[in-house]
Amino acid sequence: MRLTLFVHPITDLRLGGETRIEGAALTVGEEELRGALLQDGRLESVSFEVVRPGEHARIGGVFDVIEPRAKQPGDGYDFPGAISPMALAGRGTTHVLRGMTVAVLGEPSGSVIEMAGPWAEWCPFSALHHLVVIPRPRPDLPRHMALNARKQAGLRAAAYLARASLGLPPADTEMYESDGPSQPRVEGVPRVAYIAQVHSRQFVAEVDEQIVYGHNTTGMVPVVLHPNEWLDGAVLAPNAGLNVLTYHYQNHPILTELYRWQEEGRVALVGTIATMAGGDNFDRDLNCTLAAELTKWALGADAAVLTKTGGGAPHADMGYTAKLLEDMGVKTAVMVGPPNLSPERTVESSTLFNYPEVDAIVFNSGGAYFELPAARVERVVAPSPEAAETFFGLEKLAASRVTGVTSQQGAQRLRALVY
Amino acid sequence: MRVVHYLNQFFAGIGGEEAAGAPPEVRDGAHGPGRLLQQLLGPEAQVAVTLVCGDNYAAENLEQLTAWALDRVREAQADLFVAGPCFEAGRYGVAAGALCAAVQQHLGIPAVTGMAEENPGVDLYRKDLYIVDSGTNVTAMRDAVGRMASLALRLLAGEEVGPPSEAGYHPRGLIRDAFVEETAAQRLVRMVYAKATGEKYESELRGAVFPKVPAPPPVIDLGRAKVAIVTDGGVVPKGNPDRIQGNAAQNWGAYSIAGVDDLRAEDYEITHGGYDRRYVEEDPDRMVPVDVMRELERQGVVGKVHDQFISTSGLANPIANSRRLGREIAKKLKEDEVDAVILVSA
Amino acid sequence: MVQITSVMPVAKMVGSNRVIQGNGIVSPVGAPDLPPEEERKLRERILRQALEALQREPEASA
Repeated sequence: MRLTLFVHPITDLRLGGETRIEGAALTVGEEELRGALLQDGRLESVSFEVVRPGEHARIGGVFDVIEPRAKQPGDGYDFPGAISPMALAGRGTTHVLRGMTVAVLGEPSGSVIEMAGPWAEWCPFSALHHLVVIPRPRPDLPRHMALNARKQAGLRAAAYLARASLGLPPADTEMYESDGPSQPRVEGVPRVAYIAQVHSRQFVAEVDEQIVYGHNTTGMVPVVLHPNEWLDGAVLAPNAGLNVLTYHYQNHPILTELYRWQEEGRVALVGTIATMAGGDNFDRDLNCTLAAELTKWALGADAAVLTKTGGGAPHADMGYTAKLLEDMGVKTAVMVGPPNLSPERTVESSTLFNYPEVDAIVFNSGGAYFELPAARVERVVAPSPEAAETFFGLEKLAASRVTGVTSQQGAQRLRALVY
Repeated sequence: MRVVHYLNQFFAGIGGEEAAGAPPEVRDGAHGPGRLLQQLLGPEAQVAVTLVCGDNYAAENLEQLTAWALDRVREAQADLFVAGPCFEAGRYGVAAGALCAAVQQHLGIPAVTGMAEENPGVDLYRKDLYIVDSGTNVTAMRDAVGRMASLALRLLAGEEVGPPSEAGYHPRGLIRDAFVEETAAQRLVRMVYAKATGEKYESELRGAVFPKVPAPPPVIDLGRAKVAIVTDGGVVPKGNPDRIQGNAAQNWGAYSIAGVDDLRAEDYEITHGGYDRRYVEEDPDRMVPVDVMRELERQGVVGKVHDQFISTSGLANPIANSRRLGREIAKKLKEDEVDAVILVSA
Repeated sequence: MVQITSVMPVAKMVGSNRVIQGNGIVSPVGAPDLPPEEERKLRERILRQALEALQREPEASA
């Protein structure tokens, strides 16, 4: 299956009367967009702000970050299963507005995008333009419904903006192609799979929490997905966030890296597994075993990289899945790190599994105890005036609070070194 | 720069194991490897005094030795305290670690030592001290002392010591955050590729790793087998003749039960301090089941009960040290042509 | 080797292959609360279990 991205760089973003793209400048028709989003009767109102790179600004209360993307008509639907009818993602052409995001805000959230100051260098979003979308669900709604309305508003805004590029020639084209597990084995080229937890059952998923093709994953067992499905809107960040962003599913650091290695002829990316961290011992054993066996027998992988979503139990699940894979002869590497909240900064307190075969570990900092001074900002964009006040007054910020700095999807560059 | 150096009886040239009971003494200037240390610390450095003590004396009187050493270091107005390097010598390493930790804590001057990975002193003190990895080979003395000296100079200058792999010390298990150029994704893919293609890779985290122990095949004919009892519960003959320590025991003992049908309370004591010992004191067969094993021997269930049982203490015993004890015990039992072991653990 | 211990998880974690449950940390092959006759029977039971394990393949680890 091949996915082609038509990349439209955006270097200028502004609110205006009519939504259109001219060159690399996107004008967002504010009333038009508002009208489209308020079709969802669950929203009372929605406000928009534009934040530009270089501004002494802070965006506070980040709920999710989404890259504007829209399917070429006929090649599928935008965020299928979530805001559109179901269709297989990851094929045909998708238009991408690159250089900007839709940043969805909501309370409660302590996450910030630092556009300036010491964190800006390490925050991947400080160099991008942002259309900040602040949806305000009706106060009488049950919480899960309010969260769903918020999430969908962001997704709809992202698709809406990208549709402005349909019919425009792209400045750049990216292609992602994989024949999956049926591709013949090539001597010396390891077949690699990626196993990602998309949800942790330490949190009960909301009935309308949309994670995999709009499904909330309750009752699911691990499934095989083509790498392109992740890149093309099939998987969304859960409500709890936990250092997982929809933007980093669309621009998945690990999948794009594996594709790069495949381009160079060094690995064969044979597929991926979406799994969940277990809610109890039985659930854990079942998910870990199935994820491992699918990797070995459905994907025919020689090697696998694993990531988690969530805290300690997901960490243990990931370790166990890796151990099962090693028992089956599949070489593994796992990524551990946030959200490690243990104040005891030692190795012992950081390993919750102990399998000698699982000996290839990328060790990210938990981020909670690494602080840099917060920027002195002139402007704060936040879900409410009260929230804005707290975000204004920040003196220091821990890495775990800066969006994209701590990442369970592989974007993180803050390592934990053992001394 | 004034240095105080600590040596055991062997490196001070007094003698070997037979001199392990040597009491502490102070000698002027540098002795043994201390001369090399002084040289490698540079022209400004002077080993003012060398403290010497026998390993057994140190192990049995650690508190007093520590107090005594602190006084000597104060008197010498030392800027730096160095102990060892101890290589694999366990009692030496534990004493060196204790002295360095005390100097660091009470006198606030840098303290450096050196030991091999297996030395129990490493697991006991790695979090508190910079312990240079000396390896086990005493012929690598110059290299070990060199690294100890470099590390000491950095500590004295208040400079950053650097990561373990660079400065050559045992990882202390402490975590520091640092930005790196590569994303976790890049590091992850690179690591799995190396692992999958049989190349070397370095994990960013190495926890306490317990390698798989291959399982010996089942005993085919138990009725002809010689079975030995081993315990880590610290049951030893009264008087603890081999001075097996209760905590982080560095040795084990083999004790005769030839012609013995039943262990008597008056003949044994418990050195393991980590469990309520009174029940086993009352009847040592509760840990070393000689009575029932003799009965099973009489009945022909087992061919023979080995005429010695092996004992050590498992309490707070560092992993590397326990491995060594296990290897030594296994070797001895193989020499005694034992076919199978029952290990009774506290 | 067969190990008799009352702290099974540690034994398994460090790789002990044949592990039998002991009767308590303070008295792995004893039972101070039982009359001597019963205690001896218990000791024999545990030891026979241990000897059985020596003659079998190790159980699959948890």
